[in-house]
Amino acid sequence: MSSPFAINGGACVAMVGKDCVAIACDLRLGLQALTVSNNFPKIFSYGDVYLGLTGLATDVSTVSDLFRYKVNMYRLREERNIAPSTMANLVSSSLYERRFGPYFVSPVVAGIDQKSGKPFICGFDSIGCIDFAKDFIVSGTASDQLFGTCEGLWEPDLGPEDLFETISQALLNAVDRDALSGWGAHVYIIEKDKTTKRLLKGRQD
Amino acid sequence: MTMFSQNPLMNGPNYSFSQTPTMASGANKEHSFYPYTDNGGSTLAISGNDFMIMAGDTRSTSGYNINTRYSPKVFKIGGTTSSQDDATLVLSVVGFAADGHALKEKLDAIVKMYRYQHGKPMSVKACAQRLSTILYGKRFFPYYVTAILGGLDEDGKGAVYSYDPVGSYEREQCRAAGAAASLIMPFLDNQVNFKNQYIPGSGEGHALVERAKDPLPLVVVEALVKDAFDSAVERHIEVGDGLSMMLITKNGIEEKFLPLKKD
Amino acid sequence: MADRYSFSLTTFSPSGKLVQIEYALNAVNQGVTALGIKATNGIVLATEKKSSSPLIDPPSLSKVSLITPNIGMVYSGMGPDYRVLVDKARKVSHTGYKRIYNEYPPTRILVQDVARVMQEATQSGGVRPYGVSLLIAGWDEGVEPESEEAATADEGPEGKKPTGKTGGILKGGPMLYQVDPSGSYFPWKATAIGKSATSAKTFLEKRYTEGLELEDAVHIALLTLKETIEGEMNGETVEIGIVGPPAHHLLGVDGVEGAQGPRFRKLSPQEIEDYLTNL
Repeated sequence: MSSPFAINGGACVAMVGKDCVAIACDLRLGLQALTVSNNFPKIFSYGDVYLGLTGLATDVSTVSDLFRYKVNMYRLREERNIAPSTMANLVSSSLYERRFGPYFVSPVVAGIDQKSGKPFICGFDSIGCIDFAKDFIVSGTASDQLFGTCEGLWEPDLGPEDLFETISQALLNAVDRDALSGWGAHVYIIEKDKTTKRLLKGRQD
Repeated sequence: MTMFSQNPLMNGPNYSFSQTPTMASGANKEHSFYPYTDNGGSTLAISGNDFMIMAGDTRSTSGYNINTRYSPKVFKIGGTTSSQDDATLVLSVVGFAADGHALKEKLDAIVKMYRYQHGKPMSVKACAQRLSTILYGKRFFPYYVTAILGGLDEDGKGAVYSYDPVGSYEREQCRAAGAAASLIMPFLDNQVNFKNQYIPGSGEGHALVERAKDPLPLVVVEALVKDAFDSAVERHIEVGDGLSMMLITKNGIEEKFLPLKKD
Repeated sequence: MADRYSFSLTTFSPSGKLVQIEYALNAVNQGVTALGIKATNGIVLATEKKSSSPLIDPPSLSKVSLITPNIGMVYSGMGPDYRVLVDKARKVSHTGYKRIYNEYPPTRILVQDVARVMQEATQSGGVRPYGVSLLIAGWDEGVEPESEEAATADEGPEGKKPTGKTGGILKGGPMLYQVDPSGSYFPWKATAIGKSATSAKTFLEKRYTEGLELEDAVHIALLTLKETIEGEMNGETVEIGIVGPPAHHLLGVDGVEGAQGPRFRKLSPQEIEDYLTNL
């Protein structure tokens, strides 16, 4: 239990639908078995792109702030929002910069490319290796459980409402089988020009 | 490489593939023997109103190697013939295959003896308790297995009993065990016990009314088992090759085999 | 090494001028004329390739350079300084952008990076300003969805009047910039630098029209060059680089999903000869 990735707990998942993507996270923050907070969201918005971060909570905060800075600088320099695929490469290169002293986070990127309208999701390991997936990306202490629920529940071309139901069920049932994750969830359904954020109650134990 | 040299002058015998430590004479050698191996694989049991399904993949691994693509983990228990045609119970074992095999043989013998002595098949409830006793009997050198026992109870309802390696057991609606248990179990919670499913518009937050736990028909459960294993195969390297299923109804035990992905 | 007791050679004169920069501009204004014209569907960069001796082997001399697959550059002024800037521009396009975002910089970003390099030479110790002005031409993929394919030459049958507005980070399209030794940069529709810049610009003002196409732009570029050129005009004495449609034949590979050929390419002497015969 001394893995930095499993001290604070937490889970995150992203899914592709038809002309939409979804990203969701749990809200728990713990110190091993002790729950410290039940309001610690792990998804951060950067314009058109959403970044989910699980792992060591201090690194989750640091990395989310670092990318807030980097994306703001990008926007000022280039007078445009950062595209999801560009963000993915920025995350990758930024993490690899810390190759021998990594941030203990497992990031997930989700968004819709404003130019092509195509959904985009990807995940990373803590040193920036990108996992481009066509279906879903999971991360966090409940990743095994999420793999199971996502593999079982996900199907191609889900509309926004069905995608919301799918990702919510995948996340809630996964975190209910992980002692380090849970305590409610945030779910973002991202369409080309609309993003819906929902708060899920979930089991409080 | 001196490892395979068979040189009698070398420090120790050279007939083994395992390298004999070559060190200065007089230095202490640490020898160790670890009697367990994890042979991977996964099992799954779901009970219904008048049936139960026990399933397990047939892959056996050690590390990244595949020992065989067909080594069943689900067994009929306590039949009177070698074909086990008249068995009423099923046992699945996952973990260390040798222990699993030994455990199955032992339980089978005991249940057979019970049948001969009592002139009737053992009830699943009795067998469940007996299995716990067997496992606890080796409390300090356990069978390294997660066992699941299945059958029909006195009322003809499907029964699933799940165990830890030292005999702690519980009757459950459904249970996944083995390498992909963490993947399958939350899926089962959702699809068998309808966890996190509520009736739309029935309330706010925790006041929502849970979806009724209607008993699932056999065809639905069978489809769930296949889906669960297909998912597990997709994401776990120790699961695959074949799916061995036992469907227990009042008509006896039906065996089914389905291919799974071999990659 | 030289961080201590090394002072900027470019210092203000009492009247508020940086005379070193003016000297650098003088060097530029003695340079061979180079020009750039932006069309709706591309850009042309052109210059004269002057050799001091008939013994020089012209094909091995190159004044128009590729910086990224979609960005090219030409200069007027001191050749050695230019080559240093080409090296730095190519390097910074990777270190400052591609290695971070895995894509090449938009034209304006590259121009700013090159302009920064040139500005730093006006404020740093122990260095002199670069004796060149640059014309940087590039094509940007816009971020807005391509609604009516306005960027790609063929005007739709709806008869939408071609506006001169091209480029820009949101819309995408061709961009043409001039960068001076001071580090200042300007976006142009068409311009010229070097010895005959003034007369060439007057000429361009007359010939330039809104909604110009690349082929016309190449034509105008050669006409402009003809007015100022001193020697003979042929495929070996004129150098042209164009930013146009993706050149798939230059990609080198086939069947890679999403792969696009470079938009910037230099015209071969034969291609230039062909344009010259049609002049």
